[in-house]
Amino acid sequence: MKSEEIAAKTSSPWFAIRKDLDSKQRLILSCFSFLLPILIWVIVSYTPFIWHPDVKLQLSADRTDVTTIYSAGDRLSKEFYPSFVEAIQSDNAEILAAREQGEVDGSASRIRRANLKVMRHITPVVTANGWLTRDEVKDESLYGVWQKLAEGSLEQKRVQLSAENMEIIKRNWALMSERSEVFDSKLLPETPLEKLVPQGKPSNPSYLPSPHEVVVKGIQDFTAEADGNNPSLFQRYRHSLRIVFLGFLFAALVGVPLGVICGTFDFFSKLFEPFIDFFRYMPAPAFSTLLVAVFLANDAPKIALVFVGTFFQLVLVVANTTRQLDASLLEAAQTLGANKSTQIRRVILPGILPDLFNDLRILLGWAWTWLVIAELIGVKSGLTEFMDTQGRFRNFDSVFPVIILIGVSGFVTDQILSSLRKYLFPWTPESSSKKHGFIGRFIYWLLDRKVYDSPLNGKV
Amino acid sequence: MSELIQLPSYKEQSPEVSARFEALHKRPVKLKVEGLSKTFHTSKGSVNVLKSIDLNVYRREFVSVIGPSGCGKSTLIRMLAGLETLSGGRFLLNDKEVSGPSADRGMVFQGYTLFPWLSVKKNVMFGLEVNGRSGTAVEQEALQWIELVGLARFADAYPSQLSGGMKQRVAIARALATQPEVLFMDEPFGALDPHTRSQMQAYLLQIWKNVDVTIMFVTHDLDEAIYLSDRILVLKANPGEIHEFIEVPVPRPRTPEQFLSPEFLSVKQHLEELIHPVSSNDDEPTDLPIVRMTSASDNVE
Ligand SMILES: Nc1ncnc2c1ncn2[C@@H]1O[C@H](COP(=O)(O)OP(=O)(O)O)[C@@H](O)[C@H]1O
Ligand SMILES: [Mg+2]
Repeated sequence: MKSEEIAAKTSSPWFAIRKDLDSKQRLILSCFSFLLPILIWVIVSYTPFIWHPDVKLQLSADRTDVTTIYSAGDRLSKEFYPSFVEAIQSDNAEILAAREQGEVDGSASRIRRANLKVMRHITPVVTANGWLTRDEVKDESLYGVWQKLAEGSLEQKRVQLSAENMEIIKRNWALMSERSEVFDSKLLPETPLEKLVPQGKPSNPSYLPSPHEVVVKGIQDFTAEADGNNPSLFQRYRHSLRIVFLGFLFAALVGVPLGVICGTFDFFSKLFEPFIDFFRYMPAPAFSTLLVAVFLANDAPKIALVFVGTFFQLVLVVANTTRQLDASLLEAAQTLGANKSTQIRRVILPGILPDLFNDLRILLGWAWTWLVIAELIGVKSGLTEFMDTQGRFRNFDSVFPVIILIGVSGFVTDQILSSLRKYLFPWTPESSSKKHGFIGRFIYWLLDRKVYDSPLNGKV
Repeated sequence: MSELIQLPSYKEQSPEVSARFEALHKRPVKLKVEGLSKTFHTSKGSVNVLKSIDLNVYRREFVSVIGPSGCGKSTLIRMLAGLETLSGGRFLLNDKEVSGPSADRGMVFQGYTLFPWLSVKKNVMFGLEVNGRSGTAVEQEALQWIELVGLARFADAYPSQLSGGMKQRVAIARALATQPEVLFMDEPFGALDPHTRSQMQAYLLQIWKNVDVTIMFVTHDLDEAIYLSDRILVLKANPGEIHEFIEVPVPRPRTPEQFLSPEFLSVKQHLEELIHPVSSNDDEPTDLPIVRMTSASDNVE
């Protein structure tokens, strides 16, 4: 009891100026920092009276006088939607009026064809409610659905047909069944059928799909197999990773030695750095056409773009890190008899290593940001090509999972590298003071499964 | 206090002490400095920091350098260690002119300057390996030096796991491992708390006794200088010149009790006078013009 009270008292206040929170509080807040945006997304998506400027059609209809065709799934603005519904209703009124007066306009076969269209318009509701699968939808089976709907023997789970539409279905079915109980294109009614009135529900614009749509679409996209010249998303992902990592690798291979040399010898610093400093202000994408001309097709110009975008920054950062090394360490080494090459090999390199690692980690994040532009140049490829195509068709529910994937990949790589730091560099103060994070514990567990069995928690 | 007790002159030496100095001056000259000067050229113009420094340091002597801050103490020993170029003059180590840093002149800095990525043992081995040695002999030798400074238990620890005093002992072991002719120390205990500091002074005397090394020790602590040294080099500022080179009349072996001995106090009084002359106090008032800020009615003094 007592110790619990003490523990409760020692937890830090939530709002203290320039004071660190304890680890549990930090964890809670870190979770919230991710949960909050998701929560906002959920609220905006699922609360019909917040925003929702559009109506997403669940059921559409053709207007006689207008050529624009909307189909189920399309979004209409809230202002326009009522006039669309009214137009169909007035079409229906005209049909009924004409029927009453016994006026029939046009030939019997034309009317049959129009009626076939009316019958087919129910399809989105049929598939949404699972009455028929997409493959099962045939004129014959749809005819049966009309019958069952009119008889009231179908359960409307996902899409509820309005009372108005149910009346229309019943009236239409009366006409249809008079001619035939089963589908026969020759035996469709020869008086015009009433059109189903459009139905829809409030929705956000297509560029803000709701979370479940994104999740469902994401799973669909990622489980889809490759077909022909269309690689699967995982193949695309691998391709994108390759571009980022190769571009970064080359930048690091050239940039790190150059940066270290610049940071070590003022001669090279003054010789290279002014130009590099100037060059980095020229945006890498400005070179895209040039890179394509030099490196031709395939991945080379893309990798080169990531290189150009990363390299110049990297040299300057590494040079700076090298200069940050405590110069008195070099003086100490000199009084111990170290010559120039020994100073570089045995003092500068090991001395800057932890900071260099950190720099490279940050610059890898930098390299990620060039990915999309890199994949757009020359022949579009990888995840970007997919996003580009889907975005053109306004399938943003397909675009979001990919954007999130790119973000998660960068973030996770960064987190892993950052927690590796204290295992790679056990001498840094942070590695002795900080407790092992989740990833760190996992690595220890991989190295030695028994670490967490002992009461000492792995410390001997 | 000094008015109340009649102190002997700091120049008075007991027969043992003067015999000791006589023997010391017969030893070979380890370090001979001739007309050394230093001018720094900065964007604001050039500063003449040190001017015509001449001195001899004998083998296994312990010399302290004191003086007001900014008088060029660090500059002097950095020049002798080869870390700073000379503007004029020269210096000889064992009668040979030397230049540039080398393992024959070790250095211990105030900021420890241990290599943080190396364990204590590897830090001490650094100098040995850099000078082309390798193998288990090097490791054994390093461990002996670590034992000498009493840190055998911490041979595999990283510097970041050690306290300030321990770090400085490692730095001393590292500097001694290459067996330098002269060891320069630039306010090595300046960052330590008083207790650790006096402990370190005792350690240093012990080490110096056991190792064949000549020490030049920069400090601004008068007690420390008197307690440790054979002779004290007093510098004055602007430009840095030798004020006096004092022979410390306190007999060896030194113990902390000597801090209150008449010889000790007389040297200290003299040093005080040299470094903080009475005349310089004129422009800095000792009493602050304090206006009473509190409404407390009871007087604390
Ligand atoms: N690299 C330098 N460039 C210019 N001036 C310097 C440099 N190093 C030291 N000085 C100047 O030389 C003087 C003596 O410095 P220093 O030897 O560090 O004094 P001390 O160690 O006695 O306090 C100071 O006035 C300082 O400003
Ligand atoms: Mg100094």
